[in-house]
Amino acid sequence: MTEQEAVTETIKAEEPRIGAFICECGVNIGGAVDCQAVADYVATLPNVTTAVVNKYTCSDAGQAEIKNAIKELGLNRVLVASCTPKTHEPIFRACVEEAGLNPYLFEFVNIREHCSWIHMWEKEDATHKAKEMVRMGVARAAKLEPLQSSEVPVTNKALVIGAGVTGMQAALDIGDMGFQVYLVEQGPSIGGKMAQLDKTFPTNDCSICILGPKMVEVARNKNIEIMSYSEVEEVDGYVGNFKVKVKHKPRYLNIDDCSGCGLCTEKCPVEVPYTEFNEGIGTRKAIYVPFPQAVPLRALVDKSVCIDCGACSKACERGAIDMEQQETFSELDVGVIVVAAGYQVYDPEPQHEYGFGLYDNVITTMEFERLINASGPTMGKVVRPSDVQPPKSIGFVQCVGSRDKNSNIYCSSFCCMASLKNAQLIKEKYPDTEVYIMYMDMRTPFRMYEEFYNRARDSGIKFIRGKPAEVTETEDHNIIARVEDTLTGEIVNLELDLLVLSVGAVSTESTEKIRQILKVSRAADGFMMEAHPKLKPVDTTLDGIFIGGMTQGPKDIPYSISQGSACAARATRFLAQGKALTEGITVKVDEDICVSCGMCVPMCPFQALSMEEGKLNIISALCKGCGTCAVACPTGALQQSHFKNDQLLAQVKNVFAYGEV
Amino acid sequence: MTKEPVKLLEDEGLTFLTCMQCGTCTGSCPSGRYTSLNTRRIVLSARRNKDVYHDENLWMCTTCYQCQERCPRGIKIVDGILALRTESVHMGLMLPDHRKVAGLVVDKGHAVPINDANKEKRKELGMDELPETVHKYPEALDQVKKLLEVTGFVQLVLEEEKDKSEEGQ
Repeated sequence: MTEQEAVTETIKAEEPRIGAFICECGVNIGGAVDCQAVADYVATLPNVTTAVVNKYTCSDAGQAEIKNAIKELGLNRVLVASCTPKTHEPIFRACVEEAGLNPYLFEFVNIREHCSWIHMWEKEDATHKAKEMVRMGVARAAKLEPLQSSEVPVTNKALVIGAGVTGMQAALDIGDMGFQVYLVEQGPSIGGKMAQLDKTFPTNDCSICILGPKMVEVARNKNIEIMSYSEVEEVDGYVGNFKVKVKHKPRYLNIDDCSGCGLCTEKCPVEVPYTEFNEGIGTRKAIYVPFPQAVPLRALVDKSVCIDCGACSKACERGAIDMEQQETFSELDVGVIVVAAGYQVYDPEPQHEYGFGLYDNVITTMEFERLINASGPTMGKVVRPSDVQPPKSIGFVQCVGSRDKNSNIYCSSFCCMASLKNAQLIKEKYPDTEVYIMYMDMRTPFRMYEEFYNRARDSGIKFIRGKPAEVTETEDHNIIARVEDTLTGEIVNLELDLLVLSVGAVSTESTEKIRQILKVSRAADGFMMEAHPKLKPVDTTLDGIFIGGMTQGPKDIPYSISQGSACAARATRFLAQGKALTEGITVKVDEDICVSCGMCVPMCPFQALSMEEGKLNIISALCKGCGTCAVACPTGALQQSHFKNDQLLAQVKNVFAYGEV
Repeated sequence: MTKEPVKLLEDEGLTFLTCMQCGTCTGSCPSGRYTSLNTRRIVLSARRNKDVYHDENLWMCTTCYQCQERCPRGIKIVDGILALRTESVHMGLMLPDHRKVAGLVVDKGHAVPINDANKEKRKELGMDELPETVHKYPEALDQVKKLLEVTGFVQLVLEEEKDKSEEGQ
């Protein structure tokens, strides 16, 4: 018998002495439930030593009362009937532990979300239900057993997936704290979407001018290893001990020999639209350097269009070209993972929204960014695609792919400011241009944003409050937007040279692939789900895995960078401590009953189970205590600790009143 | 008793309350190009519990469903307008022309009875001169009339024009 088993047996042998603490939570519970009546009733139940009412059980005073009762009355189980375990279970577990009780001898009953809040207007019934719920809790509490969580060592390295501005910030912060970081980027350069933008709001400073130095800083940081043009293929393991397989895609040249000089590009005869960086405006060669500020500044070959003519090989003075290059793989050991895999802009083409894809002169914000960008395909000259002439009138349509049941219901949050910025840039560069913004609500929170909006109004941009219903094209390829000016009720048929669709953000296929590899939850909007919308905005429900930036939902640059830093801070806690606690609630197998059928093995979402030499092997550190395997077990050999059959059945048997309530 | 528009629409599962007044409906409306109908304003009035029942524009909608298809909030605008119309007819509010058409249904079993030109057209198209309705089976007209009677349609559309919403005020 192990030490833990001995403790368990001692506790089980003891007569249960339960202390029940009924929380009023101010009027949250007290307003609907007669807590004193609940306490009086609970005090009459078997095994209950004491039952009291607290104004706020989670307050210092409430917790002190629990601790005192444990010591003075010799309680060996504690039940709190209050709010949600999601926020408060850790607090009460720590509280009973401080008083010398095993934290798993604590039982939580939620009489707020499950009772008072939903029965606000049925006070009598709410009180009755609360009594029944607590009675069930008492029955289960009597059967609780002590459990131990164990410490696992943590590999003091981090993996950051995605080297956009969020991932770069996370990598820099973790690196600066002295830990090694692998920064994996699927594209050929770090920098992400921000590298494509022209100016950034609300200061209108050049995007690459502020991003470039950060990219260089990442490259210089001795603790950061950039793995560009690489993808995460597999992730195994658990907090502190992740094993990661990374695929390095072939660039068809030796990255150490290439200097990014561009001689090969000059000689390459193949020219294709540059979709990856310039949104298909202008061309690139089959061998190309992503952009002038790329990090690493190295070329790569697009094999899908290369004609194997050998011109690049002849041109390269360093003999870097290697057309036989194959993909390679790295195996990494890391303790924590930060996901900053990013987003893509909403594509209005499949449904030809507002004529996009049908009419040449309807473009997206990102295309506009490349057009007005001084290092873009037109060297910053804004022209309309149909005739390459400067537009005399430009309209911006807000909420394309956002706030719309037909595409995405959420607000993408950055697009109002992006259009205000782009409209102002037009006014600065070409003051005679008529600029319209068609919007429903202008959303400009945060510092200097409303001032920015005010400046846009002052610059003479015309605002029409209405969402265009229809967009058509004239013979001259002008665009006519039919929109109701809802402030006057007039229908306006706006003839424009260029229409810019202010597209929102959506999750990407590559981000979704990583989400599935890591088994992070997905929210209804398609982005990755945080552990708590307010209290744990960059954590996931998986220990040691953090999400930041657009991976978690649409947001602007300052917010993304903040989340990058937040991810770094949250992740580094594990690295700095060098150890992590694993879940105490795990599955256990009764080997006498197990018939080694193996049905449980594929059920486990965390690969904690395996059959070894005809015997079931459980890696407890991997087990999250979800219980899926225990349900699948045909013989009942698997039992989920803390949710054992006798514990749950005790609760079930007490659903119905066996005495006067 | 007249139901307030918000309550009526809520009971029919057609709430207008989530409308954000973007005007996509008005811009989409083919009728609004020729009439005084502003769909957005109908929606606005209804959700503010204003008396849309007396608004003649309620009857300018051709029920083409363009606004409902495009509404970014997925509001069932046309279905809602139909529900408001129903209520308004029950209040005794009906435009004279609509009342005439309803009278034709009661008399002839058809809102638009067939004429010689249409008969000719049907023949040209290789169809029977008369459609499979009371036109072909005059003996069924009595049954149609009976149905219109028992469902209360006759009483609803043919009784003296009066505004029940004004009654008792």
